[in-house]
Amino acid sequence: MSSEKVQTIQKTSFEDAVEIAKKGTHCGMCRIDFLGTGLCPSGKKHGFVAYWPQGRMEIFKSLMSGKVKPTKKLVEIANSCTLCGICDKQCNFATQLRPEKVARALKEYANNLDESEFQIVVEDDIIKGLREIVGEKWATNDPVIISSYIRTIIHPDSDLNFYVVMPENTEEVSKIIKFANKNNIPFMPRSGGTLLSCATPTVLSKAFCLEQGIIIDLLRLNKLEVDTKSCTAKVGAGITAFELQKAAYKHKLRANLAEAGAHVCSNIASTGITSTWQNRYGWAADNYIDVEIVDDKGNIRNNSDLDIKNPYTTERGFTDITLTPPGIITESVVKLHPVFDDEDVVLVPFENLKDALNLVMKLAKRNVGLSLVVLSRKYLSEFLCPTPKIAKDFEYICKNYMKLNYVVDVICNKDDKKIVEEMAEYTIDKNMMKTFILGSPRLASLKNSEFLKVLSEEKDPLKAIFAGPMRKHLEKGLDASPEQIAKVFDKDLQDFFKKVYSKPEMTDIIWLHAFRILPSRLMRQRLFFAQAGMIWGEDQDKILKLIDMLSKVCDKYKLEHMLGFISPMDDGKYAFFEYDYYYNHNDPDATKRVSQALIETTENCLVMGDILMVLNYLFKGLYRKEHVLYPIPKGISNDDLALFRELIENILGKEFKW
Amino acid sequence: MVKFLSEEWIEYGKNYILEKLDPEKDMKNITTSLLGIIEHVPPNDITMSFYLELRNGKLNDFKVNTGDSFEGKEAAYVIRGNYGTYKDILQGKIGTAMALLKNRLQLKGSKMEALKIIKPLDGLIESLRKITDEFEE
Repeated sequence: MSSEKVQTIQKTSFEDAVEIAKKGTHCGMCRIDFLGTGLCPSGKKHGFVAYWPQGRMEIFKSLMSGKVKPTKKLVEIANSCTLCGICDKQCNFATQLRPEKVARALKEYANNLDESEFQIVVEDDIIKGLREIVGEKWATNDPVIISSYIRTIIHPDSDLNFYVVMPENTEEVSKIIKFANKNNIPFMPRSGGTLLSCATPTVLSKAFCLEQGIIIDLLRLNKLEVDTKSCTAKVGAGITAFELQKAAYKHKLRANLAEAGAHVCSNIASTGITSTWQNRYGWAADNYIDVEIVDDKGNIRNNSDLDIKNPYTTERGFTDITLTPPGIITESVVKLHPVFDDEDVVLVPFENLKDALNLVMKLAKRNVGLSLVVLSRKYLSEFLCPTPKIAKDFEYICKNYMKLNYVVDVICNKDDKKIVEEMAEYTIDKNMMKTFILGSPRLASLKNSEFLKVLSEEKDPLKAIFAGPMRKHLEKGLDASPEQIAKVFDKDLQDFFKKVYSKPEMTDIIWLHAFRILPSRLMRQRLFFAQAGMIWGEDQDKILKLIDMLSKVCDKYKLEHMLGFISPMDDGKYAFFEYDYYYNHNDPDATKRVSQALIETTENCLVMGDILMVLNYLFKGLYRKEHVLYPIPKGISNDDLALFRELIENILGKEFKW
Repeated sequence: MVKFLSEEWIEYGKNYILEKLDPEKDMKNITTSLLGIIEHVPPNDITMSFYLELRNGKLNDFKVNTGDSFEGKEAAYVIRGNYGTYKDILQGKIGTAMALLKNRLQLKGSKMEALKIIKPLDGLIESLRKITDEFEE
């Protein structure tokens, strides 16, 4: 092969790799073993984000754009990948990407560098000090490793003036903070990085990211002990939601958790764990017994200590915005709940939100169900369907033929199931949901079929399909099987996915709700919440008005958008809502419009009042929900609006203009 | 141009603020006082503080000393942070409000009330930024 040809192939391959890397969203699914493949061996061994598939993608982008120059460490990082293919399987399930191609490109690039192309990394006094605390291996100022943290704690435009340190225990975290303070260096913890990765493409990026200093990567704090007597688990800051749930389920117990890749401790500190189970299991301080926190002085304390000020309360009001946690939670003792033998799932389909909302709030007040939520057809489609194209067609069919725009989705015991079935004219059971999961490709292929046209002409298509004779035909026609769904994946992965979809849990709606592996699919198109927050549950007209406002603002900025879910809380006194945008995070114009819409919806919510927005409950998850929520602030005055605008300008920088 | 927290810094700061800042336009005629506590001041890792008082938008008092209080002075707002944070603020790397929201500065008192005076105070800090060019390393 001529060298020219090699270069052309190499160039194309590098370009392809950059394109894949750009689509990476840092969903963190490559750091949990959710498909039974085992974990990335390199990431597991070396810890730093650089050694995980998501980190390699970020590094490759930075190298190709010239953001970072190679160091000797790069060769070690590139060659630590064994090309085992685990990342391709994991990432393909969630986002259809093939990160191994990037890993190959990185190897090829790193192993063909001349000696003169490597930059020298100098060990300064700070890195020496950090290494004295955590050991040689676990602190670095290598720019290549640092570049892997871009977009999950470092702003893409920042200089790489950082250190990364991976403590093993609380004492080391404390020492790092004291060392940072003594040397006047800012610091910030990083767990899964998923929250920051969502904010990074938007105007909020600089507000949330660390501008310089020490990144404290908490992955090595991996204590996980379940106490079946007290129904609790001791959880280190490096433990993910998925890992905790797996440990809890072994004892027929369940934790209330965020998405699979989120770290439990950081999620408690950030958003306080919002889930579909919160009407029963609670929110914020309801979720934990105790936490061990290292404060900004490096002092270690527990919430149960007698000599500390009340740790469960916070200042209220629209200006009480916090952009960092009130300390670093290194360990928490979380509550676990029983898993019942007779748990079942029942879904009630609706054409309009008003009816769905009415039912879910009635159920919430009666405390029916363990998990209780209104899901939109967008969430339903994205969760169930293996590819974005299938999800899009599935959603089209839901909307245009089946009139299935919302479902009230209930996980409950058999007594509660009877109550739901008595209140609803027709329902979707777990077998039908299994059929939808495995048969989603076939259903999507029926998009313009006669069958669906006939269905759409029915007076009540939902009834016809879920309580009428058409159900049988549909079930038969969908030919739902692991073989069928596996066919939509890349050829070399089809056997693997046939096995994956043959596992009972992959079509078990209760397991999927508890382990929350499917929300990662919302990252196939980048998701960002237009707004999320709490609103009084009683005022359903206001909830509808809020959704209408959010929809109109998103339309104005030409964004794809839809309600994600509404989940009741505190016996239905509150409703938690999430309304989302979907956009291409590599498109600067789209990110600008997302930012504009975010600010406008925030302002509108403040004026409307009785809405606690995400900006106001962020980093308040440690507090008692009663202190955060009661009462939700009223609409603000014009003077306060002006103050809020000043505040936002301070957060977003001078370049931001109303 | 002078060194942060030096006697000269106070003198230059006073003069600059009195000369360049308009009590009404720039300082919104506010009457308030602020105690800024600076921890981990190099090279000896000590705590220092400055006290700043405005009456009707006009600088009435501005002084610096070691320790974290001024005898006989009860400031309306107390902010506490390490030397690096104050340095970043004076070098324009981070705004005062942002430092508060990121917990880099801890505030004693109502955040809501403090944020109301942030804008005029930012004008004052901008002035101090213009006269401060030297920091302890």
